[in-house]
Amino acid sequence: MQRTLAGLLSLSLIVPVALLVVLSLTRYWIFPDIFPAQWQIEQWQRLFQGGSDLVPATMCSIGIATGVALTSTALAFPASRGICRLRRRGALLTLAHLPYAASPVVLGASLLYVFLRLHLADSVAGVMLAQFVFAFAYGIILLSSFWNTDVESLIGVAATLGARPVQVWLRVLVPRALPLLGICLFQTFLISWFDYALVLLVGGGLVDTLTIRLFQYFEAGDARLAATCALLLMAPPLLGLALNQRLLTAGLLFQEIEHDG
Amino acid sequence: MAEPRGCALQVENLSVSLGGHAILRNAGLVLQDGRTMAIIGQSGCGKTTLLKAIAGLLPVDSGRITVAGRPIDSLPPRARSAVYLYQEPLLFPHLDVFENVAFGLRIRGIAGAELQQRVRPMLEQLDLAALAKRRPQALSGGQRQRVAFGRALIIEPALLLLDEPFSNLDPEARMGMQTLFKTVAGAHGIASIFVTHDVKEALLIGDAFGLLRGGQLHVYRDRAGFLADPASGVSREAEFWRQVRSTEAEAPRQPER
Repeated sequence: MQRTLAGLLSLSLIVPVALLVVLSLTRYWIFPDIFPAQWQIEQWQRLFQGGSDLVPATMCSIGIATGVALTSTALAFPASRGICRLRRRGALLTLAHLPYAASPVVLGASLLYVFLRLHLADSVAGVMLAQFVFAFAYGIILLSSFWNTDVESLIGVAATLGARPVQVWLRVLVPRALPLLGICLFQTFLISWFDYALVLLVGGGLVDTLTIRLFQYFEAGDARLAATCALLLMAPPLLGLALNQRLLTAGLLFQEIEHDG
Repeated sequence: MAEPRGCALQVENLSVSLGGHAILRNAGLVLQDGRTMAIIGQSGCGKTTLLKAIAGLLPVDSGRITVAGRPIDSLPPRARSAVYLYQEPLLFPHLDVFENVAFGLRIRGIAGAELQQRVRPMLEQLDLAALAKRRPQALSGGQRQRVAFGRALIIEPALLLLDEPFSNLDPEARMGMQTLFKTVAGAHGIASIFVTHDVKEALLIGDAFGLLRGGQLHVYRDRAGFLADPASGVSREAEFWRQVRSTEAEAPRQPER
């Protein structure tokens, strides 16, 4: 029974991806043909030779997501400590959930008004700032779990040993929190990477990311390009997931051994 | 008050409140260079608060703290030359034994051959050389305490503040650490305050003695004063062992089979 379930689960994960791969390598595949009539690697060739529209969209998505992930994680880490030291930290952490309580479309529309006034609409910077609101809030929520009395005591130890605040951060806190920071980086990267609503609203069609491209190909009925685009969208998250899994496992083992010791 | 000669630490009228409650009231003590003051007191009497206030880890309401003739009240913990050792060794889990001991030197910009020359002898002295590459998670409680001790000693602080550091060790490891502490602290000539709730440990470790009760610190003039004071618990401890011996002596012996 367990084997059957595992097999079904594996199939449900593999089949959609395999279908996308086949679609991206197909020239003609028309119902009721079971297999494609003609194959081609033109889409991938153009992609690697730099002749595809997907290349700038991929670069734009990578740039925006990396920027959002790095800034939101870097700022959320000290901010989460600041919040956790406050007496009313519970209320502030609840506030951090607010961006998720409102739909991205609603929040994007609200932000658009502000961004128009600040001349940030229709720009990469505007899109990054809008996504930062979500990613930063997520970072605060995730990283607030790092701060506890043991960590505060470690800060005290480092301080009495002569460490300046910046040394405490760089030599104690960042290495200690590395698995969690890795998870935060990955998750905030994904928040930005898969975002469509904010890019569309704030970017105004001028910011060309993979998600925007994907919807355009769907609207145009081009399944081959849509499949290639979808595979590109899946690639960094899958890579990140593998890395993240290693970090997560390392982090969990770390804690386990510590408790055992 | 005039600064006594060879004074490592002087605390005057130190008061600390936490959450609106007075934890320490007008505490005062003088500790000479190279000596260890054992302060005993029950849980919640303010022992940890006293040490943390001296280390600069807690804000004080009033009072004056002088370390090696230098007022440190307004200094941050890193500038006080007073290392605080927690009840738990609290090693840096991402660093191995060598790097934990070297931490204080590295943040002072010491590296390379000089770092090796200073860390290696310390590891040898604390019998940690064979464990240099081990992570804290792979050490026993006693080994971790030795690493924490080495990490503190290597920066040659003016003052060590030890907060029941051996209370979580098994009796054998505890006895070993007590002896090691006496030997190493004596060899380095570092003044220290050692808080404990164990009278025997206080007698073994201390050169000077204090009793904290209800937030008030009483410092004994000498060892005899500490031994004679019923409040110190020494007589209670002695009475307990006298009764144990007397019961053992009176109990009829079981015939050997």
